[in-house]
Amino acid sequence: MAKDLIQKSVEELAPLLESGSLSPIELTKAVLDHAEETQDTINAYMTIYRDEAEQAAREAEKEIKNGNYRGMYHGIPMALKDNLYFKGKVTTMSSKIHKDFIPEDDATVVSKLRDAGVIFTGKLSMHEYAWGITNNNPHYGPVRNPWDTDKIPGGSSGGSGAAVAVGSSVASLGTDTAGSIRIPSSICGIVGLKPTHGRVSKYGCYPLAWSLDHIGPMTKTIKDAAGMMDIISGYDAKDPTSVDTPVGQHLERIKGDVSGLVIGVNEEYFFNEVDNDVDQVVRGTIKALTDQGARVEVVKIPTLKYAEWAELVTSLSEASTIHHEDMLKRPQDFGDDIRMLFELGELPSAVDYLQAQQVRRQLKQEFHEVFQKVDVLIAPTLPVVASKIGEDTVDLNGKQVDLIDNIIRFTGPSNLTGNPALSVPGGFKGDLPVGVQIIGPAFSEALLLDVGYAIEQTNPMKNRKPALLTRA
Amino acid sequence: MSLSVQQLLESKGIQAKPEHLEILESRWNGMKKLRGTLESVKIEDADIGLRNIPGGDHIG
Repeated sequence: MAKDLIQKSVEELAPLLESGSLSPIELTKAVLDHAEETQDTINAYMTIYRDEAEQAAREAEKEIKNGNYRGMYHGIPMALKDNLYFKGKVTTMSSKIHKDFIPEDDATVVSKLRDAGVIFTGKLSMHEYAWGITNNNPHYGPVRNPWDTDKIPGGSSGGSGAAVAVGSSVASLGTDTAGSIRIPSSICGIVGLKPTHGRVSKYGCYPLAWSLDHIGPMTKTIKDAAGMMDIISGYDAKDPTSVDTPVGQHLERIKGDVSGLVIGVNEEYFFNEVDNDVDQVVRGTIKALTDQGARVEVVKIPTLKYAEWAELVTSLSEASTIHHEDMLKRPQDFGDDIRMLFELGELPSAVDYLQAQQVRRQLKQEFHEVFQKVDVLIAPTLPVVASKIGEDTVDLNGKQVDLIDNIIRFTGPSNLTGNPALSVPGGFKGDLPVGVQIIGPAFSEALLLDVGYAIEQTNPMKNRKPALLTRA
Repeated sequence: MSLSVQQLLESKGIQAKPEHLEILESRWNGMKKLRGTLESVKIEDADIGLRNIPGGDHIG
């Protein structure tokens, strides 16, 4: 029974919890046991809150029995990335410098999930300060990919990706500055949504780069992500980048009907220098959608050729500003990889930064114009699949290329523009998952999830799951 | 006269790890190459809208 439970999605568990045929206590115990059992192999968790989670599960059971069921996430056990603040609980950012940091307030997303009845099972590992994509953490050890434990889970939300894929968290949240939700989601074979900038409050999230940071769901299914968006979306005066605009429903709008959908395909940037097998998976997905009544239009976005430069200058400069004081006083306490990035981020001039913002404005305008002609853009989430832990390069059609430069190439542009972007599993290269990315106009999360659902309905993963999940 | 990466960092009080310097030079040159001339980007008129709204920011 426990083995079955940890494989289930929120959409499968919720009716069982609501009807009383499954106890939140039994479910929480199964998830906690599995988290402990897989910790040596996967290392997804920073901390497990066993006692608090069991207590919260008892309270949830009582409430549900008394007829006070709060909704889809009531009684669902979940761990979150360790850069999201829990009042009174150590929040480390998987760093040495913040190893004893205790926030004075909950992050807004934490409060909202708590109010929805979520049971928090702990905090998940991440690339130190979210400034990297491998999750090969020098202070707490590497997180491993449940599909192949010699491989990276992606990052920076690698603990979240691995935990959801292996079933040690039913769902999770990640943060995304250049792809940190979508990269581990693609690599771990799960759903990851980076919402529109300003749609989900960032209050109580330790920043990596203010103007590029986003928080969003990482889940087993599209409906799980939609249900979570219904909870966490909305204006928050505590976040200066929050946008006060109507939210609407996400879950309710999912039908999976793509007839008449216009899919934009940009060959020059998003299909340039892509692993042949990944390319085939993504084109196969587009074909599956056109078979259901969608049509394709080829689009041009000329400024994309400067997107990588603008993303790098912006993220490096903002991150190095945040960590400048510690770089002056205690640089030796940073992991070597991020220390080098903080050094690099001291180099761009004010003119470089502001020109990057001008490029960004131009890119936003071009995206806006493209979305007058097409409903969504579809592209690979990544040009490659997971690399080996400890390697700085990755194979791209027989050539070894720089891992970081390549892995953020297709995810970074929508951090610059702020457009929402979803990664949905599209299939495999060998035994490693491949994600398909859907990018849409501002605040079109419900549309992206609906297109993602149409893809999910084609069963691109052929019901395959990591062995660590199925043999639990 | 152009400053080296090491001189630039030292001018800001940052002590780079000696073994990082060569990689930093290479990455910084790589970024300059990515930037190129920004040809075809119409940035000369781009008002990037750093909004200056009295009382309208950082509420709460």
